[in-house]
Amino acid sequence: MDLFANLAHGFAVAFSPINLLMCLIGALVGTLVGVLPGIGTIATVAMLLPITFGLPPVGALIMLAGIYYGAQYGGSTTSILVNIPGEATSVVTAIDGHQMAKQGRAGPALAIAAIGSFFAGCVATVLIAVLGAPLTKLALAFGPAEYFSLMVLGLIFAVVLAKGSVLKAIAMIVFGLLLSMVGSDIETGASRMAFNIPELADGLGFATVAMGVFGFAEIIRNLDAGAEMNRDLVQQKITGLMPTRKDLKDSAPAILRGTALGSILGILPGGGAVIASFAAYTLEKKLAKDPSRFGRGAIEGVAGPESANNAAAQTSFIPLLTLGIPPNAVMALMVGAMTIHGIVPGPQVMQKQPDLVWGMIASMWIGNLMLIIINLPLVGIWVRLLRVPYRLMFPSIVIFCAIGIYSVNNAPVDVILAGVFGLVGYWLIKHDFEPAPLLLGMVLGPLMEENLRRALLISRGDWSVFLTRPLSAVLLAIAAGLLLLTVLPALRSKRDEVFTESEN
Amino acid sequence: MADTMGQSATATRNTSMALGFCLLAIAPQIFEFIWSIGTIFGWGAGRGPATVVINHATALLGGAPGALIGAASGDTKKASSDVLLALIYSYPIFAVAILTLFMTIRSAQDYVGGVILMALGLFALWASSDLQGMRGFSFGAGTAPRMFGGLLVALSAAIALTGLLTDGPGMSHYSWRGPLFVMASILFFALAIRPLGVVVSAFVSFMIAATGSHETRWVEAAIVGACLTLGCAVLFPYVLGLPMPMFPRFLVQ
Amino acid sequence: MTFIRALTGACAAALASLSAFVAPAEAQTYPTRSITMIVPFAAGGPTDVISRIVTGHMAQTLGQSIIIENVVGAGGTTATTRAARAANDGYTLITGHMGTHAASVPLYPKLAYHPEKDFEPIALLAGTPILILARKDFPPKDLKEFVAYVKANAEKVNAAHAGIGSVSHVSCELLHSILDIKPVGVPFNGTGPAMNALVAGQVDYMCDQIVNAVPQINAGTIKAYAIATPERNPSLPNVPTTAEAGLPKFQAQAWNAMFAPKGTSPAILASLNAAASKALDDETVKKRLLELGSVIPGPAERTPEALAALVKNEIAKWTPVLKPAT
Repeated sequence: MDLFANLAHGFAVAFSPINLLMCLIGALVGTLVGVLPGIGTIATVAMLLPITFGLPPVGALIMLAGIYYGAQYGGSTTSILVNIPGEATSVVTAIDGHQMAKQGRAGPALAIAAIGSFFAGCVATVLIAVLGAPLTKLALAFGPAEYFSLMVLGLIFAVVLAKGSVLKAIAMIVFGLLLSMVGSDIETGASRMAFNIPELADGLGFATVAMGVFGFAEIIRNLDAGAEMNRDLVQQKITGLMPTRKDLKDSAPAILRGTALGSILGILPGGGAVIASFAAYTLEKKLAKDPSRFGRGAIEGVAGPESANNAAAQTSFIPLLTLGIPPNAVMALMVGAMTIHGIVPGPQVMQKQPDLVWGMIASMWIGNLMLIIINLPLVGIWVRLLRVPYRLMFPSIVIFCAIGIYSVNNAPVDVILAGVFGLVGYWLIKHDFEPAPLLLGMVLGPLMEENLRRALLISRGDWSVFLTRPLSAVLLAIAAGLLLLTVLPALRSKRDEVFTESEN
Repeated sequence: MADTMGQSATATRNTSMALGFCLLAIAPQIFEFIWSIGTIFGWGAGRGPATVVINHATALLGGAPGALIGAASGDTKKASSDVLLALIYSYPIFAVAILTLFMTIRSAQDYVGGVILMALGLFALWASSDLQGMRGFSFGAGTAPRMFGGLLVALSAAIALTGLLTDGPGMSHYSWRGPLFVMASILFFALAIRPLGVVVSAFVSFMIAATGSHETRWVEAAIVGACLTLGCAVLFPYVLGLPMPMFPRFLVQ
Repeated sequence: MTFIRALTGACAAALASLSAFVAPAEAQTYPTRSITMIVPFAAGGPTDVISRIVTGHMAQTLGQSIIIENVVGAGGTTATTRAARAANDGYTLITGHMGTHAASVPLYPKLAYHPEKDFEPIALLAGTPILILARKDFPPKDLKEFVAYVKANAEKVNAAHAGIGSVSHVSCELLHSILDIKPVGVPFNGTGPAMNALVAGQVDYMCDQIVNAVPQINAGTIKAYAIATPERNPSLPNVPTTAEAGLPKFQAQAWNAMFAPKGTSPAILASLNAAASKALDDETVKKRLLELGSVIPGPAERTPEALAALVKNEIAKWTPVLKPAT
C-alpha cells in the first residue's frame, strides 16, 4: 500500500499542468533528436541543461527524462527509413527495419517499433516502482569479472546476428574492437594508434563511425549507377501504414521477450541497453522457425530490439533513483541537472525527495503514452518522406548528418572522420562485409578490455576469477553454448547462403 | 568453362590485382609523402618530403633486411619506426602480391576484401608496436591491440583463402562520382563550419553533394538547399540550443 | 517558372533579413556580443556545474550571454589546447582546473600549451575539497589506522580512480607519494562507475571530490576518513581534516578558475575579474556553491595575481608526484 500511496503521490505531482507540459516538451524534443541523424541524446541533454536552470527541479528532470526515452522512440525512425542508426541501441533495428522499408513496409515497421516501445516502457515503469530497490542488488553484484563475461556474451550475439558468412562477421567484430582501441589507454594513459592527432586522443566516437559506415556509405552506394531503379521501386511499393493482424501476432511474443530482456539488462550500468537490443535480436533469430528471414525484413527483428532498448532506457533509472549512481552518460547529466538544483542524488534520494522520484516515475508512464500518441500519426508523415525524390533527399541527409556529428563535440575533425568511414563503409558493402557487427565490436570493445584488465588487476593476474565467480561463470557458459549453436551449423552448410545474398 | 579467353582474362586481372596490392603495400608511405608536401607550405607538422622519401626508401630497401639479419644474429638494437613499418606491414603485403600472380582466384570479392582487411590488421600491429606489453599480471597498453591485430590478420587470411578455394562473386563495380562529391561536400562542411558558419557551409555543402547525382536539377536543388539551410539555421542553434556560428566570422566582426 | 522565381526571391529575402540581425554593432565597450566559455569536461560534472552557476550571474553583470561549450577529451587538455589557440579578444574563455592547468604539465609530456605561458589568469572561482573514502566494511576505523593498514598491506589493497589525469587519480597519487607506497590502482571510466565499485565493495578506497560523496557518506554506503582541506566542511561536519586526523601533509583541492588566452587586453581581464568577483559575492551563487561542498575563495584569493601564484605553486606541487607515475 506504501507503493500505491507513493504512486498516487507521484501521479499527483506529474499531473500538475507545468509538469505535464515539461513531459510533453521532453517527449517532443526527444522524438526530434532521435529522428535527426547524428545528434545524440547526450549532446541534447547537455545542451538543454542550462534551460532547466530556471525551471523547478521536478519539472526539469521530467523534461530531461522525456528527452532520453523520447529519443529511443525517435531513434528507430532514421534506422528504418534511411538506414542511419542515431544511437548504439538502434543499430540492430536498422538491420531488419530498413529491409522492411525497402519492401514498402516502412509503415508497419515504424508502428510496431512505437507499439513495442510503448508496451516495454509501461512494463518497465511498473518494474521501477515495484522492484526498484531489490533490483539494485543486481547492479552491485556486477563487478569487473561479470562485466567482462557479459561483454563476451554480447560479442557472441554479434556473430549470431550476421546474415551472411560467420567468418566475415567475426572479422568485422575484431575490426570493430581494434577501432575501439584507438585513443588513450585507460590504465596507463598511453596514446594508442592515435598518430598524434589530438582529436583521436579520446578515441573514435560511436556516432562518427555509425554515421560513416551506415549513413554516408548508404548514400554513396545509392548514388551508384543502376541503383536508382531500386529506389523507384521502393517508392512505388509502399503499402499499408499500420501493421496487419498477422504482423501484430508475429511481434507480440517478440515484444514480450524484448521487454523482459531489456528490463533486466537495463539495470546494469554501462552498456546494458546496447546489449539488450542485440540480445533481443539474437533471441528472436534463434527462436524463429525460419531464421533466414532475419536480415530480410522480419518484423520480429524490429519489435524485439525496440522493446528491449526502451525497457532498458527506463530501467536504467533504477541505479540513479535507488543508489544515486548514474549508470550511463545521460544519467550522469541528470545528476548534473539535479546538482545544479542543489539536489545531490544518493541512496536516500527516494526518502528525501519523494516528489522528485515518484513524480518522475509517474511521468515516465505519462510520457510513454504521449509518445505513442505523437508517434503513431507521425508514421504517415515519415513514410511520405520516402516519396521525396532521392536527388533531394540525399544532400539533405548529408547536411543533417554533418551538422549532427559536428554538434556532438563541436569538432570539425569528427565530420571528416565520418566521411572517411563512409568510404570504408562503401568498401565494406562492395565486399559483402556487414557493418552491424563492426559497430557492436566498437561499442563493446572498450567495456570488454577495461573490465578484463580491471578484473585481472583486482585478482592480481588470476584468470580463474571468471570461472569462480558464479554469475560470471554462468554468463560464460551461455556464451560458449551460443557460440557452438552458431558455428556448428555454419560449418556444416558452408556457404550456401552466399548466393541468395545478392538481392539487396 | 576454362576456355582460353577466360584464362587470359584471369591472367591480366591477376597482374593488375598484384600491382594494386603492391601499391597497397606502400600506401602509408605514399600517404606520409603527400602529407609531407604540406610542410613545405608550413601546413601541419612532420618531416619534410625529402626526408620522408629517403627514410622510407632506405627502410624498404636496405634497413629492413639489415634488421632481419641483425635480429637473426642476436643483435637487439631497436629498429626505427620506418623499418618496422616495412617489416610488419609492407613486406607481408608484397609477399601476398607476389602470391596473387600464381593463384587462381575464384571469388575476387572475398579475396580482395580479405587482403585489404589483412592490410588493416597489419597496419594496426605496426601502429601498436611501440606500446608497452604485459607488465607482470597487468595488461600493458599494447597487449590488447596486438592481440586483436594478430587475430584480424589471421581471420582475414582465412577470408582471402575462401576466395581461393570456393566459387563466389567477383569484384563489384565501384563508381567515382557519388563518393567524390559526397566526400567533397563533407570535407567542405568540416572546414567551413567554424570560419563561415552554418548558413554558408550548409548551403554550399548541399550543392556540392547534389552534384554527386546525375539526376540533380539545379534550380530545384538550389531552392530546396536554401530552405533546408534556413531550417537548419533555426532548428539547430535555436530550437536545440547547439552552440554554432551562424554567419561568416568576417561579417560578424 | 514564375512560382519558382518568387520562391527564390522569398528565400533570398529571408536570408537577407536574417543577416540584418547581425549587422555589426558599433565599437562599444566590451562585451558587445555573447562570450563563449569553454568547459573542458562533460556537462553535469563539478567543473561544469560551477562554471554554469558563476557565469549565470556574470552574464547579468556583463549584459551579454555567456555560452558554455563543453569540449571533452584527454583529461581536459583538448579543450585547453583549443582555448590557448583561440583569439585573445575576450570572447573565448575557459574554466581551467587543477588537472588542466597544473597536473597536466607532468602528466602529458607532449602538452600543446603551457598553463602559465599561454593563459592570462582571471579569477579563482571555487575549490572543491577532496576526501579519502573507503568501502563501508574496510577494516581501518580512522585515518591513523588507515595509514598503518595500507602501509602494511600495500600489496593487497586496491585503490580506485576515475581515469588517468582525473582529480581522483592525481590526488590519490599524492596520497601514495606521501605514504610512500605503490598499491594497485584500478582505473574506471569516470567518477560514477568508480563510486559504484566502491559502494559494491569491489575496491577498497579512493580519493574523490566532495560533491558526489556526501550523500553516499550520509547514507552509510561508504565511509570517509578525512577531508584534505585546512578546515572542516559544513556539509560533512563530522569528517575530520587531514591535519586533525594525523596526516597534515596531504592537502589537496580541485580548484576551478577562469582563464583567457594570452594577450587578452588588461581592461577586459579587469572587467571579467570584477564580474566574477561580484558573482561570488552574490547570495544565491554562494548558497549554490556551498551546497556543492565548494570552498568560495576570499577577496584576496580572487585576484589574477593570486591565481597566477596558485598555478605556479600547483605545478611545482604535482610535478614531482606525477612525473615517475607516467
